[in-house]
Amino acid sequence: MSLLTLVGVEVGKIRRSKILLILAAAAVILWIPSILNAELNFGMQAEGISPENNFFIQGFMGMAWFMFPASMVVGTVLLSQTERANKGILKMLALPVSTARLCIAKFVVLLSLAATQILMMTGMYYISAVISSGTQDYSFVLPPLFVLREISLIFLSAIPMIAFFWMLSVCIQTPVFSIGIGLASIVPSVLLINTKVWFAYPMSYPLFVITSEYGKLAANLDTAQVELIPWIPVATLIAILCLGISCLRFGQAERR
Amino acid sequence: MNVIETKNLTKSYAGFTAVSGINLHIPKGSVYGFLGPNGAGKSTTMKMFLGLSKPTDGSFTVDGKMYPENRVQILKEIGSFIEAPAFYGNLSGEENLEIIRRILGLPKSSVAEALEIVGLTQFKKRLAKKYSLGMKQRLGLAGALIGKPPILILDEPTNGLDPVGIHEIRTLIRSLPEKFNCTVLVSSHLLSEIELMADIIGILNHGHLLFEGTPGQLKFAAASKGCPTDNLEDIFLALIDADNRQRGTV
Amino acid sequence: MSVSLEWKKVKRTGFLPAFFGGGTLAAIVPIINMAVRPERYLNQQGSPVQILLDANWQMMAMLNVLLIVAGTCLLYHTEYADNAMQKLKSLPVRESSVFLGKAVLTILMSFFVLVIEAVAVAFCTFHWFGIEKGFFSELCRCFGYSLLLMLPCVILSLLISEACKNMWVSLGIGVVCVFTATMLPTTNFVLSLFPFAMPFQVFAGADVAKSMHYIYGAIAELAVCSLAQLLFVKVRRGFE
Repeated sequence: MSLLTLVGVEVGKIRRSKILLILAAAAVILWIPSILNAELNFGMQAEGISPENNFFIQGFMGMAWFMFPASMVVGTVLLSQTERANKGILKMLALPVSTARLCIAKFVVLLSLAATQILMMTGMYYISAVISSGTQDYSFVLPPLFVLREISLIFLSAIPMIAFFWMLSVCIQTPVFSIGIGLASIVPSVLLINTKVWFAYPMSYPLFVITSEYGKLAANLDTAQVELIPWIPVATLIAILCLGISCLRFGQAERR
Repeated sequence: MNVIETKNLTKSYAGFTAVSGINLHIPKGSVYGFLGPNGAGKSTTMKMFLGLSKPTDGSFTVDGKMYPENRVQILKEIGSFIEAPAFYGNLSGEENLEIIRRILGLPKSSVAEALEIVGLTQFKKRLAKKYSLGMKQRLGLAGALIGKPPILILDEPTNGLDPVGIHEIRTLIRSLPEKFNCTVLVSSHLLSEIELMADIIGILNHGHLLFEGTPGQLKFAAASKGCPTDNLEDIFLALIDADNRQRGTV
Repeated sequence: MSVSLEWKKVKRTGFLPAFFGGGTLAAIVPIINMAVRPERYLNQQGSPVQILLDANWQMMAMLNVLLIVAGTCLLYHTEYADNAMQKLKSLPVRESSVFLGKAVLTILMSFFVLVIEAVAVAFCTFHWFGIEKGFFSELCRCFGYSLLLMLPCVILSLLISEACKNMWVSLGIGVVCVFTATMLPTTNFVLSLFPFAMPFQVFAGADVAKSMHYIYGAIAELAVCSLAQLLFVKVRRGFE
């Protein structure tokens, strides 16, 4: 039984869950203010960032700070509740699949939800960039390769965070706690990116990465830059640890 | 040869023992009827076979394989149906079976076959959460029968079915060993039902195995204890009653 | 009666500890902020309560709103998860009174959360600024105002939870709403009347007229949301 088939099975389970609708709604709402306030992008001389870059980066900063992590928490709720609602998990545990694989397959589905939302964001970015270009008579559209690089960075940096959320939902059976801890852990990330220990806090990774990109694009801004050491080892360790714990704990509550 | 064997299998929860040192012997190719009142420990025992519950003491083998070392190998041979049907409400009956089919790596046709066997073909496109109780039960059965596994574990499979459905399922279970060459462990709290299906009967009360043997042996055992023998249902009630009296629970 | 029933239903769901934990977390925010950089705030003009709330309320309010969203989701999740809702509908009890019971419970818990936060603010004032005359009346006014402005958010998110059988849908909508609220400029009066944005407002001692506008706004929204609930129950009955 290959992992790929299992992932396919898991994707099939979230049919009719309306999750894509929610992710899409978030992406649309995120860009509406950007379109309405497009003229503000011309007043960024102090920061020294070009209007089109500012338009792009502000939107994605908005996403990385709260919308994206919170959507991932919603995603974990979706995955755990579809299993628990009608005891689907019992049937799964009685089938010849290793629970660790099942857990990883679900995590992959969560990652693909993350990728889907980022792609939706990107699609909406292009739509709103074209609209704003029309209203402001100035081209806001950035080259796809640059955009692709930025969104890949966000996605990769989000993996440890998503692993952490997944661990929460696997290990904590009481939904309000896993949701509450997940959502509450997002809020301080805006403070932590300004400290030296940001790399120890996975929830702040996407925001930190995009903020440092902002610093690169804005000539007069001096934001902290990503230092790969110790970030990459710590992030890898956190991701592996969270996934390992989830795989160990997965299905244990149903198997007393 | 015994397909499932248990050795002093025990499951205790805090302050209460659900299954107490039972030794079961389920021969290959038989229909084994697992009988007992509500809460006797039937479901717990079956859950242990499926790894859904950890034994506190004792051990069991399924087709010579030990749990937990060979969990996946054991599960590969078992089709199961436990308690209230477990399914995904947001998926149709067909899609629910499709999930099981892909995990078991069965051919595409097996879904249709399983639906046909339990008589759900015409409702296969309906969402499982909209199913009636009986249909959910049938869906659960289809999930157990799919792929014709060599061992079937069915926990009260006729619960919630109408009389016609009960008859159908009974006939089906009765015919399974011959048709698919499999072993069936089926539980019920109705002896009249077990009597019609099972080759061997195991009676459980308060986690203890009171009796294991053929219906004929049961009658013999009852007669030797001075219980009524004309009706198996009465034997069962008398056995349970005697056991309860001994335990001082009644 | 129905409030005590609802109180019983949330047993072992983690509802009460969640509010306690969330309130404590939000209460820690101003304390940490003051402990880390007191010099930044001690030299500011204005009353201590005003300084503390200006510095920390955005984050505290965010935690409060998230807590309300998660809590209300849970309240209806327990109803839908094992089909208790169906049983409830077949009992001689009005759905609206169930809703009211849940609303009162959530409001009580929000009050409790605000009390924890007010204690934290009082502690910060005592420790770093010194308590002056009129402090407690100002504190009460500020947090009373916050409680009032939270009410529409409570009712609306409860309504969303009632409307969605699946927890992730109500949570998803709630999260999107909270996110929308953080995007809205707090300076624009009409936009900041959005129920999820209102709890982010701080009682402006100087500008009483503005605060009164928000109070009227909150009362109007409460009325609208309650009407919407009554209507919703009727309409849903028609479809079931």
